Amino acid sequence: MDVKREKELREAEVAAEKNILRTSIEKFLNWGRVHSFWPNSFGLACCAIEMASTGGARYDLSRFGYEVFQASPRQADLMIVAGTLTRKMAPVARRIYDQMPEPKWAIAMGNCACSGGPFADSYAVVPGADSIIPIDVYIPGCPPRPEALIYGMLQLKQKIQNPSKVRLMKHGK
Amino acid sequence: MANEVLRARVGELAARVKGEVGESLGVLELTINSAEAIEALTGAKNFVDVPCDFLHDLAGMDLEDHLEVVYQLSSLRGPQRLRIIARVERDNPVLDSATCLWKGADFLEREAFDMFGLQFRGHPNLKRIYLWDDFEGYPMRKDYVIESHEQRAVMRVRKEGE
Repeated sequence: MDVKREKELREAEVAAEKNILRTSIEKFLNWGRVHSFWPNSFGLACCAIEMASTGGARYDLSRFGYEVFQASPRQADLMIVAGTLTRKMAPVARRIYDQMPEPKWAIAMGNCACSGGPFADSYAVVPGADSIIPIDVYIPGCPPRPEALIYGMLQLKQKIQNPSKVRLMKHGK
Repeated sequence: MANEVLRARVGELAARVKGEVGESLGVLELTINSAEAIEALTGAKNFVDVPCDFLHDLAGMDLEDHLEVVYQLSSLRGPQRLRIIARVERDNPVLDSATCLWKGADFLEREAFDMFGLQFRGHPNLKRIYLWDDFEGYPMRKDYVIESHEQRAVMRVRKEGE
């Protein structure tokens, strides 16, 4: 470890004793965001039942601080596309996403939202919600278990807390 | 299996509307041409003793050389069941609406129109019920060719009031 870094750590230690913690504002805000996602309850099909179950007492999403399922997109920062996205619904889904204030994220829950699932060849189904909405985390499964949704949301948490790492992975470096 | 009284009544009706009587899955079937559909349905609704006065379901079918409309009839007052099958020309799929007999046929006929392009004459509001209004083609017909993956991934523009 270089001398400069060691000095920084020592200063941080001294500051911590005085109940002072130094960080960047972006890191601090992200720390707050990842511990209180407000998901938009956008249940489209059977995955919505698993999503509701995740919010219920047994799986208890609220222990992570994510339990505030909002009925209005204006009070939400995470869209969980839970179910089959039909072509008739697609413009509405996009509109709801556009109404959400920044910063915002989206999760594709279930095979249908990831790629169209069993309905990929149907005349009425959008083959993957990512052609309409930018998706951050894909959760496969038909439907995914509540544990899978929780794991997906924790992956999103990792992604938001480490934006530089995600950017590097995305460009294959 | 089917009720003997009902069998006799269906036989009389078949002679009147030039239909054929058959039996499938324990239910009597009356196959007719679409021109006699309303006459047959009215007759079945007013059978003495065994009225088939409840329109259980209405569905379209595509048999490649012609289309069919299947009316599933039953009653709230008895065990009798009857299936009426109306043959429709494929090139000119027009037949009379059953909304004059059953108000509930409204949505069922809209669905058949949506999926098979069957034109119900006298229907109060014949437009698509599941698919969007500018959808082209009738997807449940055997000759329907589905759009490519790329075309379906393009978002359509929502219309006001949809």
